[in-house]
Amino acid sequence: MNNQDHLQSTRRHFLASNALGLSGVALAWLLNQDKAFANPAKPELSPHAFTLAAKPPQKPARANAMISLWMQGGPSHLDMFDPKPELQKYDGKTYPGEIKYDNAAQASATVLGSPWKFKQHGQCGTELSELVPHLGNVIDDVCLIRSMHTGVNNHGQSIQALNTGQILAGRPVLGSWLTYGLGSETQDLPAYVALIDPGQLPVMGVENWNNGYLPALYQGTVVRPQEPRILNLTPPARLKGEVQIRYLDYLERLNQRHLEQRPGELDLEARIASYELAAKMQTAAKEALDLSQETAATKRLYGFDDPACKEFGERCLIARRMVERGVRFVQVFTENQRWDNHNNIRSALPSACKKVDQPSAALVADLKQRGLLDTTLVHWGGEMGRLPVIQNNAGPAKVGRDHNTYGFSMWLAGGGVRGGMTYGNTDEFGHKAIENVVSHHDYHATLLHLFGLDPEALTFKQNNRERSLLEGQGRVVHEILG
Amino acid sequence: MQPRMPKQAMNSNLLKTGSPIFVIALAGFVTATFSNEEITYEKNVRPILKTHCFHCHGEGGELQGGLDVRLKRLIAKGGDSGEAFVAGKPEESLLLQRLHEGDMPPEEVALRPTADEIATINRWIAGGAIASREEPEDLNPDNYVTEEERAFWSFQPVERRQPPGVTTNERVRTPIDQFVIAKLEANNLSLSPDADTRALVRRVYFDLLGLPPEPAEVAAFVNDSSPHAYEQMLDRVLSSPRYGERWARHWLDVAGYADSEGYTEDDPVRPDVYKYRDYVIRAFNDDKPFDQFVIEQLAGDELLTPPFENLTPEQAEKLIATGFLRMAPDGTGVGGVDQNLARNDVMAKTIEIVSTSLLGLTVGCAQCHNHRYDPISHEDYHAVRAIFEPALDWKNWLAPAKRRVSLYTDADRAKSAEIEAQAQKVLDERTEKQNKYIEATFQRELAKLEEGLREPITKAHNTPEKERTAEQKSLLKQHPSVNVSAGSLYLYDKKAADDLQKMTDEASAIRETKPKEEFVRAVWEPAGKAPPQTFLFHRGDHEQPQQEVSPRELTVLTSAKSIEVPTNDQALATSGRRLAYARWLASGEHPTVARVIVNRIWLNHFGRGLVPTPGDFGALGVEPTHPELLDWLASEFVASGWSVRELHRLIMTSTTYRQASRHQEEADAIDADNLLYWRMPVRRLEAEVLRDTALAVSGELNNKAFGPAVPVMADVVGQFVIGKENLNAGRPGAVIPMNGEDLRRSIYIETRRSRPLSVMAPFDLPRMEPNCTSRSASTVSPQSLMLMNSEFALTRAKQFAERIRRDANDDVAAQIALAWQLAFATTPSDDELAEASSFVEEQTKHFAANPAPESKGKQVDDPAGEALASFCHALLSSNRFLYID
Repeated sequence: MNNQDHLQSTRRHFLASNALGLSGVALAWLLNQDKAFANPAKPELSPHAFTLAAKPPQKPARANAMISLWMQGGPSHLDMFDPKPELQKYDGKTYPGEIKYDNAAQASATVLGSPWKFKQHGQCGTELSELVPHLGNVIDDVCLIRSMHTGVNNHGQSIQALNTGQILAGRPVLGSWLTYGLGSETQDLPAYVALIDPGQLPVMGVENWNNGYLPALYQGTVVRPQEPRILNLTPPARLKGEVQIRYLDYLERLNQRHLEQRPGELDLEARIASYELAAKMQTAAKEALDLSQETAATKRLYGFDDPACKEFGERCLIARRMVERGVRFVQVFTENQRWDNHNNIRSALPSACKKVDQPSAALVADLKQRGLLDTTLVHWGGEMGRLPVIQNNAGPAKVGRDHNTYGFSMWLAGGGVRGGMTYGNTDEFGHKAIENVVSHHDYHATLLHLFGLDPEALTFKQNNRERSLLEGQGRVVHEILG
Repeated sequence: MQPRMPKQAMNSNLLKTGSPIFVIALAGFVTATFSNEEITYEKNVRPILKTHCFHCHGEGGELQGGLDVRLKRLIAKGGDSGEAFVAGKPEESLLLQRLHEGDMPPEEVALRPTADEIATINRWIAGGAIASREEPEDLNPDNYVTEEERAFWSFQPVERRQPPGVTTNERVRTPIDQFVIAKLEANNLSLSPDADTRALVRRVYFDLLGLPPEPAEVAAFVNDSSPHAYEQMLDRVLSSPRYGERWARHWLDVAGYADSEGYTEDDPVRPDVYKYRDYVIRAFNDDKPFDQFVIEQLAGDELLTPPFENLTPEQAEKLIATGFLRMAPDGTGVGGVDQNLARNDVMAKTIEIVSTSLLGLTVGCAQCHNHRYDPISHEDYHAVRAIFEPALDWKNWLAPAKRRVSLYTDADRAKSAEIEAQAQKVLDERTEKQNKYIEATFQRELAKLEEGLREPITKAHNTPEKERTAEQKSLLKQHPSVNVSAGSLYLYDKKAADDLQKMTDEASAIRETKPKEEFVRAVWEPAGKAPPQTFLFHRGDHEQPQQEVSPRELTVLTSAKSIEVPTNDQALATSGRRLAYARWLASGEHPTVARVIVNRIWLNHFGRGLVPTPGDFGALGVEPTHPELLDWLASEFVASGWSVRELHRLIMTSTTYRQASRHQEEADAIDADNLLYWRMPVRRLEAEVLRDTALAVSGELNNKAFGPAVPVMADVVGQFVIGKENLNAGRPGAVIPMNGEDLRRSIYIETRRSRPLSVMAPFDLPRMEPNCTSRSASTVSPQSLMLMNSEFALTRAKQFAERIRRDANDDVAAQIALAWQLAFATTPSDDELAEASSFVEEQTKHFAANPAPESKGKQVDDPAGEALASFCHALLSSNRFLYID
């Protein structure tokens, strides 16, 4: 016990005696405050009270929530977002420049022109391929960046670069930084939600929502594709509903009887209240995940009537519902290597696009019609793009493309980003970003700017070092701000 | 330094608890009570100025504004702006004006003086600005510590006083009770009645073993009417091997034990460190005298003669003990870390661990400048650093991987070399085969190319990489598929790769037969080298060394008795610094060590120390509620030969310990925080105890002791669970069976700093950065969610239900009664039994009406079993289970 505990003991006394009269939110806040003192280090003059209470940004903010649609594996920018006449011209010929191949055994220097046609969309006239027609419908709200660059040609490191700011493992991810900096607008739902695919986890597995050296409070909470949807927050299906109500009711009676024999034992009262709060959080989670409240039109918009995209559509819709209820950061994942088209790109890429194109566009349109797009930043992209040359030159049906982190595309919408524009360019073959290059650092600096977070102030002290997302790197890409 | 809450602010917060008892209990210790005492510079004003002003106006080299405030006469003399006060006239005093206007101290100084502090200075000046005695001629380090500072309670030698006489003699079982009752009586309070036998036996088991008593053990005590039944039960429990596991955990908290290095995100594991954990467990189980325990941990290596070869178990143990000095977070084995900074950080954290665990002082502040509150100078800090410098020499550093001492004997080594030769033979064959495969693959790929290319490519291929012409390089680049290497062979020829893998596996299997080489992670000083010099680091910065400092104890701790720490003891192979220091700490004459240790033992019996801040006995700590009792216990402890077990007996046989835990309204009104021990506090199970107890009650606990830590990994959603990591591209692969290792006591589960076990983390599991001097017990909803819905809780409930079905007969009432006994160490009342039966009945009905869906082709329909599990689940999440009376 130390000085802080004395203070805490006072608060606990207060908390317990008032617990039942407090609103759930206030109680949650207090309980979180308590949690913050769970591991008191040295009592400090201004103790680090880690909480999920909403905090104002340090500067005026454009965005207050973010949904990241994370396309792990490396969607082929050359076949979706970045048309290149030279590429078409050289189709089947030897690539005239230098290429770094990842897979030597299947490498070839033969150029692969895109098998898909591009055309202009929207008032802005941005060219997109026929694989992403729905994106074309919302393109006037989208900023397409064609000059992304991480420069580390394997999945793990490039994921880390885009997710944590550096290519090293074990650092806090973007969602952890945002919730650390801004807290959450809801205390009934997790501040940071990871909606994982029913298939395999993406490369880097659970590192994708890891809080790193930030307190565990800022770890992403996984919403699973099956029951229990949120571990610990909801019970397995067999124990749900009546069974759990009876269990909680019996537990309450056990605890009340125990308390009756120990009048005045305030911790015991506080714990009874904490079970009530836990039950309330369960109800809130259940409500947020209940899509039956949505209209038929909304479900259609997200592609519920198309089996190819229904599942991803459900998760995009859950993401919107989470953000509506105050969740700060939601990431929707596709399964492991869905976009890693080393071969069979002619069949695999259309199928991947089919899965996500309609729901992704629906999310932008839906947020817009609800007035949420202004403050919700939507991100769509993976950790790399693909090479202009063939991998696995074993016949047209079997060809694919190898990794390329030197130039690739991703898009942003809402949250203060200018719509209807493209930014940056790759070279004439779409291999390397050459104009207005956006590194992962620049991307993160821009995000922090949109959220009103000062990169110098958003730091965490670890072993005498001030750690941050940017570690002093990155520039805000002002050109894409609305 | 760690900015700390100023004393004045803290006291006022204590008072805000609204319990007048703080005034009663602490009035005797509060340094200044203005009403009836003269305000003097030394007693009242200096501590304030020391905290807020000394750094710039006296101690920090150049005097700001030419003003030195370290002595009254220097303040009177004033600085560039003239005299700083006019005695008797606060309104004309510059010092006060600057403080009032808020422009001093300047804004960048974090610590602001409070209004109360400024008022004190005001009163002092108004009262004539008195100094209590003639001020020293100069301010050399020898008179750094003032008389008032030396007089602070914890710096005084332990003073054994006769236990006071009390009126209610019939409640006195041990002298402890006399000390406690005397204070209670003075406040019109009394001890609560003795706890009932069932509550008492449960309390004793959890206190000593961290596990619940089995029903037979409860019965053995409850039914024993002999006069010494309680003492005999204590002896039985104390002799359990589970005792060491429980009490080692308390020490490992302050030692900052972790199975990983921390410091960086890599957080590499410390593979050999478990031997230190086992050493601590054995030390408690064997009741190793605590003085010896301290000496071995600080200087076990200095008790041996190098080289450390062919060590006996006793010798190895002394080295293992020094693992204590290897506990600090340590980033020096990881790339990309500023080595010099990281090394000095290890030293600083080690000093923090030693000082908070043994001295009960936070000396860390003095790393950069004189301590703002305690009389610990910047130089003092470096003198203590000098004690450890030869072992933790930042200029002659041992990376983590090199601090291992092998326990291999010469015979082991010979055997191992023989086996290695066999393995090498297989590997040589493998290399030969691999070259053949690569060549064959190359030829195959070559054959796919146009005829004309084959010869130049072969030539380029056969030319060593450095000698290739630009043309050759470009040729190979244009035809990437011919660049087959050992690393890429698998991409071309899986069968060949598998074949090679088989040979690798064969070699590994041969190596597996070597005698297992075990290592000790230890501290030692390099033999035959002069000890390194220690320099005072300006602002704690190792790049700004100033004067050399010799090893010695903190000045203020040597007031009554001083010891010499040799610079280089010629009688030893080492410098002898740590050994001399350790012997001083364990001498029984050190002012704080014995107090700190008995306070920790008390803390772990009562949930709060006699000094409520067990890691800080300094000015910012909280003073003891029962100073005479603390000293009496400390002297008893030393007199008993530093026996922790005797101390347990002494404490646990007291009426104070044996009393009931119920609140009483009148007592609550006087002492709501129970500072005077009018009842036994109700305590929540700690994280490890909760997990262990759930496993014990469900009948699953694996009591296997000692050995390497059971690994922790992230599961598919990122929760940290027990398991062997099996990653594929960062994603969890197949789950590797743990064969009951996952059911071992929590002390054997890996404490990887970056992977707190998800089942335990919400229950205030400490973060070791670097150590934990006391735990808290929070009440937050994630704990409830864990108990309601986690796989851990649900599995325990199911196993618990199976156990009671197995051990009780088919009668539901008997099952409920057994569950009750296992979980709560008591029997249910008729009402409780009826309530439980009807709950089980209702749940059974529900499950019968809703049969379980088929699982893996099997219909598992067992409504009664499911209902019983639900009942067990309720018991495991109930307050009666979670709290100890």
